[in-house]
Formats: sequence, structure tokens, C-alpha cells
Amino acid sequence: MVTGSRHPLTDPAEQPLRRPRAIATWLLIAAVATAGLWLLRGTLDKAHMALAFLLIVLGGSALHGRLLGLGLAGLCFIAFNYFLLSPYYTLHIADPLDWGVLVAFLITGAVAAQLLHRAQREARTARERAEEIDRLSVLGAETLNAGRAEDAVLPIARVIRTTLRVAVCEVWMREDSGRVKCLARDAAGHDGDAPPDEDLLISVINGGVVAVRGTGPAWTVTGDAPADLQAVLRRHRDVRGVVLPLTVRGRGLGVLRLESAEPLRFDPAAVRFTLALSYYAALGIERIQLAAEADRVHALQEADRLREALVAGVSHDLRTPLTTIKALAFELRDTGDDRATIIEEEADRLNALVADLLDISRLRAGALPVSPEIVAGEEVLASALQRVEGARGERAIRATLPPDGSIPVGRIDFSHTVRALVNLIENALKYSNPGSAVEVELTREKDHMVFSVLDRGPGVTADEARRIFEPFYRPGSLPPDAGRAGLGLAIALHLAEIQGGTVEYLPRPGGGSIFRLIVPAADVAHIS
Amino acid sequence: MAPGGAALVVDDEPQIRRVVANSLRGIVDRVLEASTGRAGIDLAAAERPVLIVLDLGLPDMDGMGVCTEIRSWSDAPIIVLSARHSDGEKVRLLDAGADDYITKPFSPAEFQARARAQLRRARGAVDSDDTPFTAGGLVVDVARRTVSRGGAPIHLTPTEWDLLRVFIRHAGRTLTHQQIIREVWRGGAGDAQSYLRVHIANLRRKIEGDPVRPRLIITEPSVGYRLEAPAD
Repeated sequence: MVTGSRHPLTDPAEQPLRRPRAIATWLLIAAVATAGLWLLRGTLDKAHMALAFLLIVLGGSALHGRLLGLGLAGLCFIAFNYFLLSPYYTLHIADPLDWGVLVAFLITGAVAAQLLHRAQREARTARERAEEIDRLSVLGAETLNAGRAEDAVLPIARVIRTTLRVAVCEVWMREDSGRVKCLARDAAGHDGDAPPDEDLLISVINGGVVAVRGTGPAWTVTGDAPADLQAVLRRHRDVRGVVLPLTVRGRGLGVLRLESAEPLRFDPAAVRFTLALSYYAALGIERIQLAAEADRVHALQEADRLREALVAGVSHDLRTPLTTIKALAFELRDTGDDRATIIEEEADRLNALVADLLDISRLRAGALPVSPEIVAGEEVLASALQRVEGARGERAIRATLPPDGSIPVGRIDFSHTVRALVNLIENALKYSNPGSAVEVELTREKDHMVFSVLDRGPGVTADEARRIFEPFYRPGSLPPDAGRAGLGLAIALHLAEIQGGTVEYLPRPGGGSIFRLIVPAADVAHIS
Repeated sequence: MAPGGAALVVDDEPQIRRVVANSLRGIVDRVLEASTGRAGIDLAAAERPVLIVLDLGLPDMDGMGVCTEIRSWSDAPIIVLSARHSDGEKVRLLDAGADDYITKPFSPAEFQARARAQLRRARGAVDSDDTPFTAGGLVVDVARRTVSRGGAPIHLTPTEWDLLRVFIRHAGRTLTHQQIIREVWRGGAGDAQSYLRVHIANLRRKIEGDPVRPRLIITEPSVGYRLEAPAD
């Protein structure tokens, strides 16, 4: 469990003069030493006395800092001169060598006090660093071990609040919807009762800048990044509330809000600590978002699996009875009943309808794989013509290859392209005059292979031209029993698009429609 | 064509067994029925049918297992019935030794044509390369490596010739892309394999009357190709 810091992150006791007992003690020690030395001054060498005073100076420096050390050095210097160097009881010195002793003592004392001071300062900084690392590592372990992503954020808020000694620490997350939600709140008493509104939080997130509040409830968005927090607090007087953006890799994920009853004042170490912990909080938010994302993906996969199972089940369950129906119709035809043909045709239509519905659901879910290969356009044409053979009836379909004898080649998914072309041809057969031929042309146009399906039907108005590719759209002029569910063109367009192609509609000069199935072409070197 | 031998139909749906059995009347002497894969394998071993019709959606074991097991000791043609199975599954079954597949719902006429073609192919398998292959005006003399159409000689590239020979050797049988590539390129040639479809297009231009309405080399989308065997 993370607890509050034993050492607050403000600079401890630069001034030992604040401690009167320590000063009195050392003054007493200095006085006693002087008295002792005074009693023995006839028998002792001056250098020995200087050494005794030096010990006092070093002791004072080591235990209570540089200022006491320097003060003691000055006092001892005077006492040494006044009581122990002849002529006694004056600051006058007779022997020039005694000056040497005194000055050497003073310099040694001052330098020693200074060196001790530096060593202590470095030791303290090192200790603080170690504590910071301790705190962060404990927090790191805690956040990593938290079972739920949400549970990782509260310890962070708690550590920030206790370490900075503020009243409230909150972590807010921006959700997918754009709303900002409070994820974790650690508070001790005072709240300021001035929560920032959502717009302010959003502008903090979007701008990556700090917002502050004085004693009043009004918040101000500054133009400063969190790294300049110290400068912000210096510039805005009496800051009681701070909102910091939480970012990971430049992405604004949420905010950190701090509230205090006292004016907030951070030293560089506190700023560093706050920035480090806000990064933890940001990572915590990111983890929550990733976990939510994983849940969503899992749910989608589950839905996918269910749909696939349904698709497989429906197609299997429907196809078995359709086979039986077709077989019975076949037997019926042998008895001379011409209704058999209708039964067979309707069974085929039903089967095609089911296939369409399954395809459109797979296409819309993006669940149809694409496997492109090098395919000659005329093979697509041949397979499509073979497939519409049954639906063609007495109708003529004229197929045209490039007149120059070239073989256009595409990098396409064979089955998808055949299916798209079949749908366009069936559409042309369905919507055009039964007496007219449907034409299919294969051409190569720059980087594309194009199958054009031309009919002499009524054509499509400009208004309808946009809508005919929508699923279930049927031109209003059509008899209700014509064709299928209005999925053919939508499926053809989808199948073309998933392999980098498209289907376009053009009015045909002289009346009728042209549907162009455009797919990526490929260039093959001469092969033998 | 004179009837001969027994056919075995393995399917858990009694209606489908009935449809298949009725369709096979007049093509084989009698039809054996099994509703599980295990029973199908046992019947096939005991009765040695001349034709096996196998459904993929069996309750006890998958079609692949049945197909592999029967193929390990029987040369009888296997026609697979599939309803919901993917192209990938059909390809794997053909690679595992099935000879043809037909997708539900199928019409009895279509099924009869496939069954006749398989029986004809199975009987003809003993024929040697000595008999020229003839179909729709095309005459291929495999032994002499000559091809002609309506009496006019046709020049084929070595790859096109290899393709045609593989098709003739397996006339009437659906060959997967991989089976064709294995036989024509024998595992070498790298890039050339990805041009299989282009080679087929070139070959069709030479041997078919109308390359967009091929009558000899039939595309089975996503699965492979089949050379239509000449009708009796």
C-alpha cells in the first residue's frame, strides 16, 4: 500500500538558525572549550588550540548545516584571538605568525563547512530520488497488477494527492462519445466546490494546456504545457485548482484535476513528480480504452461467428429441401406435367434469393475474403455466360472480345468478379425488352479491365441512377414480380469495391443502359 | 450405356438418398444407402461399389475422413455433395481423392450427367494413349503429339500441350489448380504457376470454337477445371 511521503518534497531546513536549541548548545560548547583552553593556554601550542576550535566548527557544520558552521568559525576566530593569543583581551596580535595560525584556521573552517554542506545536499537529493523511484515502482507494480483497468487509476490519484498534499485529486477520461467522465477521485475534506465544466476539460485535452482556478469558481485556460506548471503557478496568484491534460504519444486521453485549500506552490521536484504520475494516469486511461476495445473486438468476433453459423445453417437447411423439390419436379415432368418447369424455376429463384441475402449480410459485415489472382478476362466472361445460361431462356447474349485479338488480364478475385458480372447480365436480361439482345464487351482501359453490359431497356433516370446500387431498391416502374429482391446491383458494386474496382452506370446512346464493371488490370510478360 | 455394378450413397438425409437413388436408376444395377460415414466405409469395403456419392455434412465424421479412407483402398469414383461448404473445402476434398462435386440444390439431370461421366471415365481408365481423343471436331493424338480441329492442324506451345495432355488423362474429372500445376510443372517453374489461368485462356483460344463459350475445358469457379469427356 502506498502511503504519504515521510519527507515532503520541499527543501528541508536550509536555515539551522531557526533552531535556537542547537545554536545555544553549540555556543555553550564553544564557550566551554574556550574556557578550558584559556586555563591551559600557557602549556598548549597555538596549533593544538586551533585544532580544538576546528573540531567544534566541523561538528556544528556536520550536524546543523553550513550557516552554523560558518558562524561558529567566526566566533571561534574572535574568541581565539581575544582570549588565547597574546596580547590577551585585545583583538590585537603581536606575533605575525599568530596571524598565520588564525587565518589558516578561518579558511580551513569555512572550506570544511562548505564541503560538508555540498556533500549533505547531494546525499539528500539522492535520498529523494530513491524515494521517488520507490514510490513510482510500488505504484507501477500496483497499477500493473490491478485486475480491472479501472482499478489501476485510483491508486495513482491517491499517491498524487498524498504526495503533493492537496485536498482532491481526480482523473477524468474522455470517452468515445466525446463525453468526459470521472474515473477516479481521491479526496480529503475540502473540495472547493468549483468543478470545471465539460467544455473546459475538453479544451484542456484538445489544447494540451493547463487550466487554473484562483480562490473563485472561475477557471482560466492558460497557453502553457504541463511542463511549465511551475511558471504557471508563479504567474497566477493564489492558485487553488489545477487541471492538467493527460497525453500518451501526443494523444489527449483525459485530465488530472487537483484542488487545494491552500495556494498551490510546486518546486521542480514536485512538478517532475506530478508529470511522471500524470503519465501513469494517462497510461491507465489508455489501458482502460484498450481493454474496452478488446471487449468490443471480442464481441464482434462472437457476432461474426454466430452469423457464420447461422449462414451455414440456413444455407444447408434450405438447400436440402430445395434439392428434393427439384427432384420431385423432375419426376413430375416425366409424367408430362408442364407445371414441373415452373416448380424448378421457382426453386432456383428461391435458392438465388437466399444466396443474395447471405452475400449481402457477409459483404456488409466485411466478412468476405478476397483472393486476387492473375485471370484472363475472357475466362470471367465464359464462366458468367455459363452461369446465366439457365436464366437466358430464348434471349441472345452477344459477347465481344477486344478486336485486336489481345487477351486482357486482371489481378482479381475470380469468383467475386464472375458473380458481379452475372448480376449485371441478369439485371440487363430482367429489365430490358425480351426481344432485344444483351451485349457484353470486354476491354482493357489503361490500368483497368472493363466488362460493359449493354441493354436496350428503358434506361435509368438521373435521379434513379444514384439509387439503383442501394440494396432492395427497385425502380418504381417495374411490375412487382420482376426478378429478385433488388440486391443484384448492390452485391455487384460491393464485390467490385472489395477488390479495388467499381461499377458505374452510363445511359446508352440510342436508349438503354450500360453498366461497366471495372476491376484492376494486370500486365503479364510474354509467356509460352 | 449398359448398367453395371452397385452405387453407394452416403448421406444422413433420407430425402437426398432417395433423390440420388432415383437419379441413378438405369445407370447402375442397384443403389446401396448409408446414413453415417462409418456405415458408408463398411458398405464400400463389403460391396465394392462402382460409384460412391458422399455428402459432406455427415453426423459422425467429416467428409474428408471418409473420402481419404475409401480412396486408400478403392479406385471407385467419388462424387461429393456439398451444401454449405466453402470452395476451400471442395478443393481439399478433390485433392484428397474425390473425383467431382455437385452443390445442392442440384437437378437430377445435372447429377445424372456427372454420374455417367464418372462411370465412363472409370471404365475408360484402362484405355491407353493409343486411342486418339476426339470431341467436338477436335482430335488429339497423344502418342503422336498432334492436335487438329476440323482437319486443320493446331500448333500448341509445350506448356499448352502439357496442359491438354493432363486434361485428357483425367477427362471428365474436376482437377484442382494445384493438381494441374503439380502435373504440368512438377513443382518447378515458380512464377509460371500464377499464369495458369492465362495459359488456359490461350489454350481455349486454340481448341475451342468460341473461347467465351467453351465446351471442352469447363471452369469450376474457385476449384479448378474439367475436360468434358466426349459423349457416347
